[in-house]
Amino acid sequence: MDPRDLLPLHKDTFHILVALADRDRHGYSILQDIAARTDGRTKLRPSSLYSAIHRMLEDGLIEELDERPDPAHDDERRRYYRLTAFGRDVAVAEARRLEQLLADARATGLVPKRSTR
Amino acid sequence: MSRPVPALRLYRGLLCLYPAEFRDRFARDMCDAMADLLSDHPPATDILSAYFGVLIDALKEHYHVIRQDLVYALRSMRKEKLATAVAVVVLALGIGSTTAIFSLFNGMLLRPLPYPQQESLVYVEEFTPGGQLRGAVAYPNFLDFRERNRSLQDMAMFGSGLATLRGDAEAERIPAAGATGAIFRILGVAPLLGRVFDDADAAEKAAPVVVLGEDLWRRRYGADPGILGKSIVLGSTATQVIGVMPRGFHFPDRAQLWTPYQLSPLRNKRTDHGIEAIARLRPGASAEQAQTDLRAIMEQITREHPTETYRQTVNVVPYRERNTRQIEPVLFTLLGAVAFVLLIACANIVNLLLVRASARSREIAVRGALGASRSRLVRQFLVESALLGGAGTLGGILFAWGAVPALLSLAPANLLPNWMSFTPNLVMLGFVAAVSVATVLVVGVAPALSSSRLNIVETLKEGGRSNTAGSARAWFRSSLVIAEVALSVLLLAGAGMMVRTFWNLSAQGASYRGQDVITFQTSAPGNRYPNGPAARELVASARREFASVPGVLSVAGSTFVPLLDGWGRSFTAENGPQLSLKDAPLINHVVVTPGYFRTLGLPLVEGRDFDEHDAKDPLVTIVDEGIAKRYWPGQSAIGKRVRYGPPEDNEPWHTVIGVVPVERNQNLRELRRNSVYLPHGEFGFSSVGYLIRTAPGLADPMPALRAKLAAIDKSIAISRVITLKEVVNTVVWQERFFATVFVGFGALALVLALVGLYGVMSYAVSRRRHEMGIRLALGATAGEIRRMILLQSGRLVAAGLVLGTVGAVFLTRVLETQLYGVRPGDPATLAAVAALLAAAALIASYAPARKATRVDPMLALRDE
Repeated sequence: MDPRDLLPLHKDTFHILVALADRDRHGYSILQDIAARTDGRTKLRPSSLYSAIHRMLEDGLIEELDERPDPAHDDERRRYYRLTAFGRDVAVAEARRLEQLLADARATGLVPKRSTR
Repeated sequence: MSRPVPALRLYRGLLCLYPAEFRDRFARDMCDAMADLLSDHPPATDILSAYFGVLIDALKEHYHVIRQDLVYALRSMRKEKLATAVAVVVLALGIGSTTAIFSLFNGMLLRPLPYPQQESLVYVEEFTPGGQLRGAVAYPNFLDFRERNRSLQDMAMFGSGLATLRGDAEAERIPAAGATGAIFRILGVAPLLGRVFDDADAAEKAAPVVVLGEDLWRRRYGADPGILGKSIVLGSTATQVIGVMPRGFHFPDRAQLWTPYQLSPLRNKRTDHGIEAIARLRPGASAEQAQTDLRAIMEQITREHPTETYRQTVNVVPYRERNTRQIEPVLFTLLGAVAFVLLIACANIVNLLLVRASARSREIAVRGALGASRSRLVRQFLVESALLGGAGTLGGILFAWGAVPALLSLAPANLLPNWMSFTPNLVMLGFVAAVSVATVLVVGVAPALSSSRLNIVETLKEGGRSNTAGSARAWFRSSLVIAEVALSVLLLAGAGMMVRTFWNLSAQGASYRGQDVITFQTSAPGNRYPNGPAARELVASARREFASVPGVLSVAGSTFVPLLDGWGRSFTAENGPQLSLKDAPLINHVVVTPGYFRTLGLPLVEGRDFDEHDAKDPLVTIVDEGIAKRYWPGQSAIGKRVRYGPPEDNEPWHTVIGVVPVERNQNLRELRRNSVYLPHGEFGFSSVGYLIRTAPGLADPMPALRAKLAAIDKSIAISRVITLKEVVNTVVWQERFFATVFVGFGALALVLALVGLYGVMSYAVSRRRHEMGIRLALGATAGEIRRMILLQSGRLVAAGLVLGTVGAVFLTRVLETQLYGVRPGDPATLAAVAALLAAAALIASYAPARKATRVDPMLALRDE
């Protein structure tokens, strides 16, 4: 399947993909990462998270790993998730799409151009 | 796992809202995530959001699952368009015909009458077991009932007929009703304008008044707001309009105006039974109690007036039965029959779905292996059958929408009272929904359960063919086909018997149907044509004028149209047994002009027809052969003397001058009464009916006849124009209706059973391809293969025929009262049905049998 067939992504989905981009995570870790990255603006509930995870597993964007101990939680076992190659392609495609939208907005002066550092 | 905290336990409990599969997969992880969240002590809003979120997201998951099931179902239905289309059509026919019949049932038997508290309205009739007396009450008896009863609140008498409206516009015959003063009190319907009549208006010398119906008031009087108090001419009497009844009120059946009956025991004697009675029960009383009550009173009356009673009893039934008692057994039988059709349709769909499930067993096994739970698989099948059921229900509603008017058109136009409505109401919709849901469940459960019980490993190993579940399924499908064949035999047997009944009955009326005779009633103003010379001259002129119309072969006047009306009177033969009223036979008493018998094609057996001179001196009469043979066997009836009416009345003797063949009157099934004829000259009625025989192929003679009558006198109204052919059709409408509907059901059942048989045989052949290949390779001929397949199908059909025939012998007894000229379980009919089914089954099995011989042995053996 062409990654672009799944665009545009639901924002929850994109957030989760971004969270998994740098490393494998378990459920709560994804929630924490998203909250941290967005300064608390986006706080997913566990139920919304797992709905999204369910879809993403069906679509092949992520994969389930075996349970591993989580040092952050007394080494209790948690289930980890990993981005698939296809998932990475989709995330990149979505990022590019958002970039293009932003560029279009900048081009018409709707949004100020990025100031050069 | 972190220690379960009460909050966490609550969360885990909430997770039960999710679909089972989701729960199995993610519940633990969700609890872990929730535990981690709680251990970070987030703000209360986050915690609440997490809990409430479960409710919303669980719902979304369910929706997601159902959507997947729907998409999957639609996809597999699209892959097999033909099978799906067949299934939908079959379901539509089954559900649709059931809905149509129930719609009739609902409109006729279930819907409440349009009167307040209609459950306590009852119909009262005097009744003799021989059927000579029913549906009427004598006025003096009515008075006694009303006075002596303890169970009725009030009683009234009523009758319907046609009234002639004269005046500014042309004379018009309007359906009308008359009743005694209490009628509107009993019915409880308030007038739209003005008032209704009461006991004062029904008194002896009261001024004539009339209540109009809203439709008539709008149509003929332009909704004149000043209509109250105006005078209109009814018959030949100026009558004052006192009120207008609202639209929809047509008591008893189709009336558009109501006048009070002025009855008196002197004029309306205890032996006259021409008017009906209605009553309202006292609160707390039942119809049975009222019946017991009135029966006791009737016995008192019989003791008090032995010469004026017929040994009759009294029936008190819910008022609705007055209209529905004829049709009730018909409807129940039809409901039973259509239920069979629905069962056959369901069996067909089950078969179809089982085939599909078989064909998809590999796919199902794979899904099972991949983790689909049994409940998920069952739900998938139920979703598919729900889709089929939904489409079938929509199709069924469309079918019923068209079928109901078509069915109603088979009944004569004036049979159904105006208050019967067949538009859908809540009961109808509830019924359709119930039938639909039941069908979906019946049809979906079997394939769902059988598929979900698949042994996954076996199926995957053997490539999805020939497993033990498969052969159990095959047996089940075969028994479904046997059941379908059996049910079809039942319906076709019923159809065959109803068709024969209809033919037999029609043959009875063949003598009428074969003739071109048109009849109509006339109504002349009584003040200008009182009974006597003026009226005689009118009738004679009319006959002359009608006879002069080109194409008219013969004309006669008569008080009654054969088969449609009659006047029952008692009869005494001179020198015969002097019987009291209750034992004296009733005969059909018809007043005719000369030419009546010629017009109807009834040749005189003995003696002569009336001529223009027969009047009051001497008094003459013509009798039918039945009477002649019964009272004067072996002799000529000519010259014998007879008289009519109760013996105590001492009516004058009439001399028999002619004998004619027996005429069926009132109905074709049985001869209830023999007929006697009296010459019009004796009575001189002015408002008679005319029978006109025309040359074959003549275009409608009515305009010319109307013109002739108008030339004599414009104020004479013509009504009830009907040909004898139509009369016969009207009289046998029920048999024709039954025959038509049963034939329709039988044909439907046959087609469905054949489709089912074809499906099963096709599938059986495809499953045995391997075996066929081997046989052909070993030298079997095409003929042998064909015979083998036909034998297999033959066994199924034979089993169904035997079952069905045995069932038909018992079940057709239900139809016994409707049959005529054929007995239930009639062997000839059953044999014909069996032969028809066997032949049709042979044809249906032929194609699969041929397909079996076309198997390429090499391909079949290689196909593993």
